[in-house]
Amino acid sequence: MDVLRGERESRPQANLTAAAGLRSQLEDGIYELVGPDLLGAPLVIRAASLRRNSAIYDFTSSPLAQVRGILINQALRLLSVGIEIDDAYNDAFFAWRADVGTNDLTQYVDRLEGDERARLMTDVTAHCLTLKRSLGSLSSRWLPRTSLRAHQRLAAGNVVLRDVIDLMVGTTTSDDASVALLDVTTSPLTEGAERVMRYHALVQTLRTSTVPLRSSMFSTATGELWSLDVDDELLQRSVLDVLNVVAEISEAS
Amino acid sequence: MSTLTHRRLSRHILHRLIDDAPTQEISLTDDHRRSLSARFRAVTSTDHRRIDAWMVERAGQPYDAFRWSPVTARRVIGNAALRRMVDDPTLTEFAAVDIEVTDQLLRAASGYSRGGSLSQWLSQSSPSVIGLVSAEAANWTTQLGEAAEGIFHPWVVASSDAYYDVARARTTLRGRRDLIVINGLSRILLRFRAGSPGKSAGPGLRADLTIDALAEPTGRAASRVIGLWPEAGVVLSVDASMEDLRSGARDLVRTAVARQRHQLINAA
Repeated sequence: MDVLRGERESRPQANLTAAAGLRSQLEDGIYELVGPDLLGAPLVIRAASLRRNSAIYDFTSSPLAQVRGILINQALRLLSVGIEIDDAYNDAFFAWRADVGTNDLTQYVDRLEGDERARLMTDVTAHCLTLKRSLGSLSSRWLPRTSLRAHQRLAAGNVVLRDVIDLMVGTTTSDDASVALLDVTTSPLTEGAERVMRYHALVQTLRTSTVPLRSSMFSTATGELWSLDVDDELLQRSVLDVLNVVAEISEAS
Repeated sequence: MSTLTHRRLSRHILHRLIDDAPTQEISLTDDHRRSLSARFRAVTSTDHRRIDAWMVERAGQPYDAFRWSPVTARRVIGNAALRRMVDDPTLTEFAAVDIEVTDQLLRAASGYSRGGSLSQWLSQSSPSVIGLVSAEAANWTTQLGEAAEGIFHPWVVASSDAYYDVARARTTLRGRRDLIVINGLSRILLRFRAGSPGKSAGPGLRADLTIDALAEPTGRAASRVIGLWPEAGVVLSVDASMEDLRSGARDLVRTAVARQRHQLINAA
């Protein structure tokens, strides 16, 4: 976490003016790609849409991997409020059930065979251990917030940007840029991870009108942490990433 | 003409919206209350109905039965934690949430809570569920606290929502409010909302404004209600003009009518 926050003295001034320009660029680009007419259903862009630079996202990815990701996210939320996790699987699982009630994935877990469940438990325990060791203790002075959602409607609602930040620290009200974003994934980090980190920074900028300090991604599979300082160039690249995805989706539909 | 305005969330937007809120005094009189009561009485109901802005936004459509979850508990605990932080500025968000959760658990342990209450639900939950409730509440407190930092006028966390029992109409109206800002002689209400505003977010805010005015013994309306959707980065506001208050009251009665229709359809 110390890497995320960096040195207080070296933080740049908060950029409060970039958001309007980025929004205009996105609106203009979307207009060129989609046209002026209102679509029957909006094109929804998520971080997962940028993981592979393709409109065809693989929705058949293993439900077991999805459950593992959800449970690790719940574990992160518990760790962020200082809860001591002794039994990673059960603690995260009970928290998840209290949050969502019953859905397709919870029913899938309920139906798991004994050996599949044991494999999931071992997997979650191992990933959680990596997370605990790397995260360390989070000072409440850093204002940690978890699972923060964002929605941004663009081009009169033709395109909706959706995002969830797993962990955010720092405040948007200080004169210096202090917000650090962290995405925790249970997969190894690949080329698409950089696009996702840029996307988080872009959506956060559009949402709060304040450019964050840093966007990072941590893999509980490898223990790797990638971190990018957010600047104009990074945000511009993210605008292009989003427009590429919009182009691919609108061509495919 | 509606006074609904739409703004993008930026650093000083709340302060600007509070600063330029209208200063003229608008009040609801006993005649207004009697007229509203007559209209609600005309909409028959077999049970006691409760109407709030959320029902107005959903046009009276029935929704799933309420159940406690980390998401439904966050507003109660989050607002109470922020109130504690105002009273004791040395507290951090987490410490304030922790004290509030402990207080709720103590209430259940000492028998001062009724069945189905938040205290009871928390007391029956596992430590990990309580941890998740704390995480959600800390998100709420932090975001509401950040919003409040941009307000330069005196503000308080609302001690409760506004409730108004419509006389002889078996109807209770509930107006939600999170912060109350004092600007000179006028009050401004702030509502903090999850998700993104739908097409009926304006009528929802108007309903909150109207219920708040009805719940005031003097009938004096807040000069503006501001809805903040941090997830969408959007701020909406509605001013207390007599036209908006009338429109808010009409929406509440229409919601009662729509709810009655849904009940009749379900019963058939």
